[in-house]
Amino acid sequence: MRSDADIKRLLLATAARGEGAAEAFEALYKACAPLLFGIAQRIVRRRELAEEVLHDGFTRIWAAAGRFDPLAEQPLAWMAAIVRNRALDLVASHDVSRVDSISEEDELDRLFDWAPAAEDSVDAGRASRWLRDCLGELRPQERQALVLAYDRGMSHSDLAVHLAQPLGTVKTWVRRGLANLRSCVEECMDTAR
Amino acid sequence: MKLARDPRLDALCGEYLLGTLRGRARRRFERALREEPLVAARLRHWEALAPRYSSMIETPPPASAWPRLERELGLSRYRTPWHRRVSIWRGWAIAATAAALLAIGLQILPLQHTSSFSEIAQLSGAGDAARISAALSADRRTLELRATRPVLAGPSQSYELWLIPAEGGAPVSLAVLGSLDARLALPQAQAARLTRGAKLAVSVEPAGGSPTGAPTGPVVFVGAIGA
Repeated sequence: MRSDADIKRLLLATAARGEGAAEAFEALYKACAPLLFGIAQRIVRRRELAEEVLHDGFTRIWAAAGRFDPLAEQPLAWMAAIVRNRALDLVASHDVSRVDSISEEDELDRLFDWAPAAEDSVDAGRASRWLRDCLGELRPQERQALVLAYDRGMSHSDLAVHLAQPLGTVKTWVRRGLANLRSCVEECMDTAR
Repeated sequence: MKLARDPRLDALCGEYLLGTLRGRARRRFERALREEPLVAARLRHWEALAPRYSSMIETPPPASAWPRLERELGLSRYRTPWHRRVSIWRGWAIAATAAALLAIGLQILPLQHTSSFSEIAQLSGAGDAARISAALSADRRTLELRATRPVLAGPSQSYELWLIPAEGGAPVSLAVLGSLDARLALPQAQAARLTRGAKLAVSVEPAGGSPTGAPTGPVVFVGAIGA
């Protein structure tokens, strides 16, 4: 995987649409497609749908590269958001069967990389740690709802079916989970100042 | 910068990032993102916290995926021609320097207009972007643009050439272009305004040109006439 600075440079070269934009976009694809394809597959669960998501996602990245904010700290997160959004649209229009895997807490450490990246600012590195710690402090059902929504792209009603709970209950878990996570992280930020 | 903490806005940002904001609510939020800088700033604040996926979930996409993208996006237009690729050029650099020494005194600039045209402005962009030379025909009816290297608009974009009058006032659109190597007929009224002190500028617009009649996208080249 390339560094954030590399990815940012490739995105800006793609956006410039000058000579060499195609080479920059190809290098961007080579560097990021495996991770983005992995994210798409986790949400849509079917390989052929994930291929569509990846194709549409990169088509949008090519078209929207000019709107990429050069000040953004995580260029990969910008691309991942485009792919995630496309995957969420697609699962809304397809009957994608959802199965398996209750998210145990240790799955959080398998799926995500909480260690600060080498080029992260001190703040970003600490924030990543805070988020992980605060997730650990949530009630288990709140944490599970948040992880399934983020990682599997589950909607409120998907969560209700998957967790065999009334819709209102899972909505509350999501809302409270987010609010608790937010205040926990903000507390960390405030004490660190 | 610390923005006012609005719990309702934060809750929306959270559900948006999580992916549970769906359908019309999601589209409304995305519209607010485009229109309200405060909403965008607050989302960026939370986005910076989003966890990074570990490389464990990487899955190689099928080999056919890239050629399909390349074909559908028409990327071949944006490839560097073989004779300008740096690695090849480097091998030739010494020979080329010698050739250039011999060529001093001859016209070696790539910006050559046809003989009946005279250059009125050089447009330049940020960094080492191409330069554009604008030249006017002797009868002042035709404007010719020549780029130091090809500058082509993307599939959903056009370039728009603007005249910014010397006396000030709104930019006047001269042409909507797909490439900055072009020749265009000038309406007489516009030709009269191509005077010293006026400026030519090129902005990036949606395909077909600015929807509003004024530049909406970033200005990528600009140059003063007679400078």
